[in-house]
Amino acid sequence: MNVSLYLSSKTWVHRLDGRTKVLTVLGVFVLALCFSHPLYLLGVFGFVMGGLAISRAGANVRKAWMLTALLFCYSVALWPFFVEGLTPVPLLNRLGVTQEGVMVGMGMGLRLLIMLWGGIWLLSTTTVEELAQASQQLGLPSRAGFAFSLAFRWVGMLLGAGVGVVQAQRSRGLDVSTGGLLQRIRKYVPLVVPLIGHALRQTNLLAMALESKGFHPSSRRHFCSTGQLMLPDYAVICVMVVLVGVSGWLRWIGVGVLDIRF
Amino acid sequence: MHLPQAACDSRRWWADLADVWRDTRLIVLTAQIAAIYAAILIPFKAGIPIIPGFVELRPANAIPIVASLLFGPAAAWGAGIGNVIGDCFGTLGPASVFGFVGNFFFGYLPYVLWGHLGWLSSGQPPLVKSWRQMVEYGVVCVIASAACAGIIGWGVEWLGLLPFVILAPAIFFNNIVMGMFLGPPLLGFLYPRVQLWRLRYEDIRQSGSSSFQPSSPPRTHDSLFKDVTSENLSYSILDCRGLSFQYASDSKPVLRNVSFSLAPGEMVVLLGRSGSGKSTLCYACNGLIPHLVPGVFSGTMRVCGRDTVEDPVWKQAGRVGLVFQDFDTQLVATTVEGELLHPLEYRDPPLSSEEMQQRVVHALSRIGLEDCTYRDPMTMSGGQRQRLVMASVLVQEPPLLVLDEPGSDLDPAGRAQLREVLQNLREEGITVLMTEHDDGQLAHADRVLVLDQGEIVWKGKPETFMRHPQLMRDWGLRPLALTECFEGLSVGRLPISVQEAWTRADALNLILNPPASVLDDTLRLGEMPACLRKMALPLIHVEGASFQYEDQLVLEEVSFAIQPGDFLALLGRNGSGKSTLARLLNGLLMPTHGRIVVDGLDTSATSMNELAKRIGLVFQNPDHQIFADTVWEEVAFSAKNMGCSEHEIAVRVQEALAAVGLPCEGSHDLDPFSLRKGERQRIAVASVLATRPTVLIFDEPTTGLDTDETNRMMAMIRELNQQGHTIVMITHSMRLVATYARRCLLLHGGRMIADGTPREIFADTALIRAASLEIPDISLFSQRWGHTLLTVEEVKASLLPGPP
Repeated sequence: MNVSLYLSSKTWVHRLDGRTKVLTVLGVFVLALCFSHPLYLLGVFGFVMGGLAISRAGANVRKAWMLTALLFCYSVALWPFFVEGLTPVPLLNRLGVTQEGVMVGMGMGLRLLIMLWGGIWLLSTTTVEELAQASQQLGLPSRAGFAFSLAFRWVGMLLGAGVGVVQAQRSRGLDVSTGGLLQRIRKYVPLVVPLIGHALRQTNLLAMALESKGFHPSSRRHFCSTGQLMLPDYAVICVMVVLVGVSGWLRWIGVGVLDIRF
Repeated sequence: MHLPQAACDSRRWWADLADVWRDTRLIVLTAQIAAIYAAILIPFKAGIPIIPGFVELRPANAIPIVASLLFGPAAAWGAGIGNVIGDCFGTLGPASVFGFVGNFFFGYLPYVLWGHLGWLSSGQPPLVKSWRQMVEYGVVCVIASAACAGIIGWGVEWLGLLPFVILAPAIFFNNIVMGMFLGPPLLGFLYPRVQLWRLRYEDIRQSGSSSFQPSSPPRTHDSLFKDVTSENLSYSILDCRGLSFQYASDSKPVLRNVSFSLAPGEMVVLLGRSGSGKSTLCYACNGLIPHLVPGVFSGTMRVCGRDTVEDPVWKQAGRVGLVFQDFDTQLVATTVEGELLHPLEYRDPPLSSEEMQQRVVHALSRIGLEDCTYRDPMTMSGGQRQRLVMASVLVQEPPLLVLDEPGSDLDPAGRAQLREVLQNLREEGITVLMTEHDDGQLAHADRVLVLDQGEIVWKGKPETFMRHPQLMRDWGLRPLALTECFEGLSVGRLPISVQEAWTRADALNLILNPPASVLDDTLRLGEMPACLRKMALPLIHVEGASFQYEDQLVLEEVSFAIQPGDFLALLGRNGSGKSTLARLLNGLLMPTHGRIVVDGLDTSATSMNELAKRIGLVFQNPDHQIFADTVWEEVAFSAKNMGCSEHEIAVRVQEALAAVGLPCEGSHDLDPFSLRKGERQRIAVASVLATRPTVLIFDEPTTGLDTDETNRMMAMIRELNQQGHTIVMITHSMRLVATYARRCLLLHGGRMIADGTPREIFADTALIRAASLEIPDISLFSQRWGHTLLTVEEVKASLLPGPP
């Protein structure tokens, strides 16, 4: 079962070095945190959506738009109740909802969207192996990166096994959709135990398999890919540095920032 | 009194976190916990949203607490990484950092706190059996849940995404509900098993500290490779002398004084029953035994002149390539190229990028996967994945390749491709040692060794071995059908190929003239069950059923009927739609077009419970369903789900256990996880029988079983058929089809291309080849006389003296 969001394509974004893509997304997160005004955040959101478009990540956009739209609505609906303001909203005045609160809700909703779509853009254009290599090159411990990529690889296998477990137990009459809360929770035991048992039974074998292929925790990994940054990488990093710098300066002088009081 | 977790030295808690990254098994465990957490997080939802879209009651939230109490710091890292992986399905962002930290503490605090809560501590293992354990567990659960909720809630509010007062209580509620209600039963089931497999954190630490120490300092891959090319290679690649080994958990040795050697370029097949020590011997070839498997080891195993105990396992990858029976465990990357680069990237000293690329290209061309460089291994067939694993060990260019039962999980097409690859490797001069429990690769080997109860009991030429059926029977192996046909006749050397069999028949002036009892199947199958003789109405009607998964049409316009008491074999290569059809029959899947009627009920309009009373599906892997503490509870599970009374359950369990030949006595105390695969498969069958279904579907019931176990399993299935159960069996074994099936359906590319008796199907050579299957040798032999015979007994009854 394939669980990765990665979309194989030959765009120039895909060809960028993994470090460039990770740094770009981190830059986008910083841009989102610099502003709280919806108009400025809308600009950053447009930048991210443009990135998704040139990366041909439409398939993932179609997959995730419903979830992200729901989260945006939550933010817009919830924040106004926690923010003080001076301009009441007609009809909702009794609930303490003000126009400033609505602005904050929209801003925070957009910030959430930018962060989620930024993450989806990274995962759509970067393989798990590239992410592991980039994280090692950016200074994260290589063994943690390896455990991450290994786990990612096994999620697919476990999801496949999970389908088998669910089918086997349903065939024996297990129905998790009926009963009260406690009953329903207890019914998950026959589903979760075989899945965990299936995985743990293989622990020793997996460790043996890794060492048989030459892996050892003490050995350093030397990636085949030379990891040299190319001209497009430097160009993208420069653009992001400028954007982050300008946004930081705008925030410093108070542009694009709402005055939020709780 | 047993205190299972951290010692009193608090500094060790922090040291433990670092220790996880110094032990391969703990790294594997970390990745497994992360994968389990993410895999349960994604599909298993209790369907009760707390904040719809944000927080939903999910069983996965019990995993960090349970894993923490079993695996200590590995659970902390695993829970953190697992949460990030869960975010990678659409919610990755800065909040994932807080998700990581929150879940890290959720998976670490229980380990740290258990046994260190002063007067609240129970001083007992982390189970919830006494009230003191319950109190301690409750406190641990509350603190860990609160810490996780607090960290994530604060972080998400700091990012301005959602207010703390909304998110933190929701996360806390989710964690506490799942931790309190699902955690204790999970611990109760998992703790004894984890103890049995010696996977608790303290077990791994202990075994890690006492692992086998090499007698000389480890060397680099390059210096090891020099041994291979040196002159000591001329006498043998592998030299095993007086090797004995006893697993730490066993009471008797699994290998006893084994001695043999392999010459360069030789291909040797190691045969033997399950449990004879074949896999253990494979593990000894690259030092997994004794380095990673605890036990008593004596004797020597030298590969390329170097004793395997002298270097750690990972440094022997340049000398020995080992492919496991469960080859999927050796796949670590998400692309074929990544899979092959992975072992090269860990070499010491490192290789240049150019050399790595060259080796990848060369290895892929050796095993015929040149066109798959960027494919995801999980989208490939079983045969392709196995060849990929072979490439991933060959990329290190070892002179010795060891394969543990390479043919056991492959369909006939996969086995044919394997034979071709092995032949190519042999021509390149690679030495191959492989284990088998049947005659699959015997004809192509230079030598055969037979292992029984840990000792080599026979060695010699494969041809000699194959020409002596009694010898094969003596060591638990199935003789070649053709040799059995001529056994007892004065033919000199018994034939081992169809051509030889024809020559022997001519020499003896024998012809094949089958009697009526052969042609009407009474010799092969016995008398037809009464229900079939009466030509009862069909039990199952499949009318133009199609099934589409996403964009892929898996099954197309399939129509057939099954009579009561029938024994139907579903045939076809991997991916032909057999398993999908089986799941459509028992209502697990619904046809996207057409309909399926079982005992008068349309599966689309009938509940699973109702269908389960009529059709039982026995899955290929019994471990996908076994979960209970005892055999009795496991078998009783389905009857309980049917709402049977206690008395009725007891009656059904006794009946089911008797039907599969398992004793009822002791089943209340026997842990199903402690049994062998063949016995676990029987428990799975018994559990399905407890619903008293009319139809039983078996999905590859003999995969991974040796000859004796296969015979026992098939005898049981035949017995169930004779008792009146209708049998549908998916199998790749044409021998089983020829011996047991009354009727066959042949699927190819999702379409049904034939429906008939095995005799009719095997008579059509072109049809069988089009479906990438193999015709049994006996059928090929008999077709010379215009008949298609299926079993040894049929041939023996039909061989008659010809005209003078």
